[in-house]
Amino acid sequence: MSTKSEQVKVKANVNWPITILLIIGCVTIFFPLYMAVIIAFKQPSEMTNDIMGALSFPSVWSFDNFREAMEVTDFWHSLGNSLLITLLAVGISILLHSIAGFAIGRGKEHGKMYNFIYLYIVSGMFVPFAILMMPLVKQTASMGIANVAGVILLYVVFYMPMNLLLYTGYLKNIPIALEEAARVDGASTWKTYWSILFPIMRPMHATVAVLTALGTWNDVMTPLVIMSGTGVNTLPLAQLNFQTQFGTNYNLAFASYLLALIPILLFYLICQKQIINGVVNGAVK
Amino acid sequence: MRKHNKIAAGTLLLGAAMAGMMLSGCGSEADGKTQIRMLQYKPEATDFFDALEEKFNETHDDIELTIDSPNDAMTILKTQLIREDYPDIVGIGGDVNYSNFLDAELFMDISDYEGLSTIKQSYLDTAKALEFVPVEGNYALPYMANAAGVLYNRDLFEEHGWTIPTTWDEFIALCDEIQAAGIQPLYFGFRDAWTCLAPWNAIAVDLADSDICAQVNRGEATFTEAYDQVADRIKALLDYSQPDPAAYSYNDACTAFARGESAMYVIGSYAVPQIQSVNPEINIDSFVFPASNNAEENILNSGNDLQFSVMKTCENKEAAYEVLDFLLEDENVQAYLDDQNAVPCKEGDFTLAPMLDGMKTYIEEGKTADYQDHYYPAEMAVDAMIQTYLLDTSENAKETFLTRFDTDWTRYNRDVIRKVEEYYGNQSETE
Amino acid sequence: MKNDRKMTFMLITIPVVVLFFCFNTLPLIQGFIYSFTNFKGYGSYDWVGLRNYMDLFTDSRVGGSYLFTIKYAVVCTILVNVISLILALGLNSKIKGKSVLRGIYFIPNVLGALVVSYIFSFFFTYILPVVGQTLGIEALSSSILSRESTAWIGIVIVGVWQSVAMNTIIYISGLQTVPEDVYEAGSIDGATGWKKFKSLTFPLIMPFFTINMVLCMKNFLMVFDQIMALTKGGPSQSTESISYLIYNNGMAGGQFGFQSANAFVFFIVIVTVSVLQMRFMNKREEQL
Repeated sequence: MSTKSEQVKVKANVNWPITILLIIGCVTIFFPLYMAVIIAFKQPSEMTNDIMGALSFPSVWSFDNFREAMEVTDFWHSLGNSLLITLLAVGISILLHSIAGFAIGRGKEHGKMYNFIYLYIVSGMFVPFAILMMPLVKQTASMGIANVAGVILLYVVFYMPMNLLLYTGYLKNIPIALEEAARVDGASTWKTYWSILFPIMRPMHATVAVLTALGTWNDVMTPLVIMSGTGVNTLPLAQLNFQTQFGTNYNLAFASYLLALIPILLFYLICQKQIINGVVNGAVK
Repeated sequence: MRKHNKIAAGTLLLGAAMAGMMLSGCGSEADGKTQIRMLQYKPEATDFFDALEEKFNETHDDIELTIDSPNDAMTILKTQLIREDYPDIVGIGGDVNYSNFLDAELFMDISDYEGLSTIKQSYLDTAKALEFVPVEGNYALPYMANAAGVLYNRDLFEEHGWTIPTTWDEFIALCDEIQAAGIQPLYFGFRDAWTCLAPWNAIAVDLADSDICAQVNRGEATFTEAYDQVADRIKALLDYSQPDPAAYSYNDACTAFARGESAMYVIGSYAVPQIQSVNPEINIDSFVFPASNNAEENILNSGNDLQFSVMKTCENKEAAYEVLDFLLEDENVQAYLDDQNAVPCKEGDFTLAPMLDGMKTYIEEGKTADYQDHYYPAEMAVDAMIQTYLLDTSENAKETFLTRFDTDWTRYNRDVIRKVEEYYGNQSETE
Repeated sequence: MKNDRKMTFMLITIPVVVLFFCFNTLPLIQGFIYSFTNFKGYGSYDWVGLRNYMDLFTDSRVGGSYLFTIKYAVVCTILVNVISLILALGLNSKIKGKSVLRGIYFIPNVLGALVVSYIFSFFFTYILPVVGQTLGIEALSSSILSRESTAWIGIVIVGVWQSVAMNTIIYISGLQTVPEDVYEAGSIDGATGWKKFKSLTFPLIMPFFTINMVLCMKNFLMVFDQIMALTKGGPSQSTESISYLIYNNGMAGGQFGFQSANAFVFFIVIVTVSVLQMRFMNKREEQL
């Protein structure tokens, strides 16, 4: 996004007041995180009833709270479930939604029906989860998928409208001549898709992956209603379910919160550009 | 391209970590044993039931018992009911949920269970009173009762020579005295709306008829009249609470009382384990809340805190009864009492926790009545209504609150009232 | 060969549509059917006709939740758009460390709303009051979450804190589509500051404004996690959002039927709001 000429201009004439204001503004981002870190490292006895009690450095930097929080919330299992759900939901979404986008998007040339199907699925974007929640609890249970598999399946369905919109939108800009050339060479439609179109849509895969991943990783409501009481937690769900265990031991609670935030923060640090681009692409399309 | 490789590498790494975790999951399945699954709703008794489960499975070769003690168990139980994924035995409180489940015909008639005869009649009556309309048979095995009133810090009281009040005026005088001594008389955790019900129940049990809800359902009384004084007196307590009680949670209030920040705490005996977890040394006793100025009218608030019901869908009644037998063994009852400071429903010579000293005579004489909120429908959220009322500083707060109580009551209980009408209508026809 | 293409499309589309129908449309229809019953979620139930829908309009709790949710969504949408537009203008101007700053301001968006809310809850309960007391500010000296008049502000703060990130990024990409020469032409005409923004920049990023408004409004109307973590609907049910009420009373409160009716009305509200917004914005765009 940032071109060379832009960088040259920045060097030429830096707007310092705005730069400084923006740096000061970062405090609003970092302060809550700073507070969380400080409290997570402290002992309950250090939490006095004044500002310093909560915000000064702990006397000893000890990882005891984190160790305990991991035990209490069964951290590794929750993390495993979150990873499993997110990765599979993203993976299946990319495969299924892209090919659905292909069939439905390109299908429009074969008649009105595909146009109708397209609108039918995309309009699903307006259906709030709250209305599906209660019937889905019954339905998933009767199908025997009131578990991680069910949650993954639901995500694949919930993200279908948005992802279909994105994929068909992207396909519109890919000339159909490519496919026709392949057809002349004797390749089947199926093969043409996987060998030519699927790789071409890579930028859109990244966008879909980022949007689906952010949404599913942080989602509480779906696993809450589908898996509650089964003893299986996702990372955010564990925070909710262990509120009573934390009691007034905020230090333990904050250690657990931080543990829940760290994976996504790390992921963000590594793939920051892709995430931001993905989000922008998704929203603007 | 490089960027995509990075993502791919990250994904692979995560995938590997995940596969490892999945392999370590998955428990073993049972081997020909009868499975009994029990869900009990008291999270504070989790450790007790875990130990009990282990003990049971060690001594029983043919039955495998699992006891779930989830947080927010009622939501989870109801979700399981929605899923039609029924446990075999549920351990729940004797409250309106029980009435609803019974009304939905989820429970098995356990009149043929012998252990019922060892339960004190008054607790069986309490369970019976929870039926919307009288039902043939027995559906609950009352296990533990609790007692609610005022917990007080015995050391503080002895140090200052304060005496236990037996009337409302005495109670207020005591609060003034404590305040004068520079100590916080009461501490509330009203951020958790349900804690508003503790003082409410304690006061209502003294001042209103114990079957007031049934009376209203039959159209014989209104809450506006019955709860008038109750509403006045619960609000009067606010003068003696810490500032801004709605800012603090139940946990906060328990912690504050445990640290000696307040002399008294209007809550049930169920709070004691929580308080002791903060300060194991604390010396607590309790007394019956004296809401009436006629000491004779003041009675102890005591309900079935934990009772067991066998689900209709349970396939192994014998095995379920065996679990109930095990629960009722004197040794296990006593272990529960020691752990949870509860009051046993079973006849016999048990040692009560010292913090129930002040209530002992009431328990022995049977001067008890059930919590009023055990009859309130959960979706009406009376706790939040009381919370609203307590925070409402306007002139006509009480009128608003009580009027709403009456109108909401008729709406939320519509189906129940209809049932009651039909029932008594039929009765008078047949008579 | 053309037939192969047709067949393949068919074979792909049918399972996809079936899947979508089973887990989106079917539960929607089921919910609609339940909305005519007094189903508790378990046990037997009766048909009650339109009673649930009639009750919806007289139920003060449902009414309260709609008022709260709409108030919350409107305030948040306005605040988020104003703040993120300002932020985007700043981040798009000639500053140092542009990409680092952009990266930092985006952090809140990747964090889970539930955990963020827990962290803020502690801040509101234990830190802000102490700050208020120290500075002698009456309004802040007790927890803002404990008063009916201010609890919703706490939820707004958390909601805005998280959403600004996303909207800022969208506005930045909007601002980058504004060609430099438009500005240059503008400066010759003497357009500066606010005037330049109003007459030049804003019309050009109008489509992005539309996206942001629609996205924001929809997300805020569905607020759930923040309520769960910050107030659980309290104090005095003053912060119960519609989603929270449906979850709480429908799942835990035995009002499966009644809350299904509520959910259905909520669905219609969301559709109406989104459609109206897009219509309105499209018209504005055309006019400009």
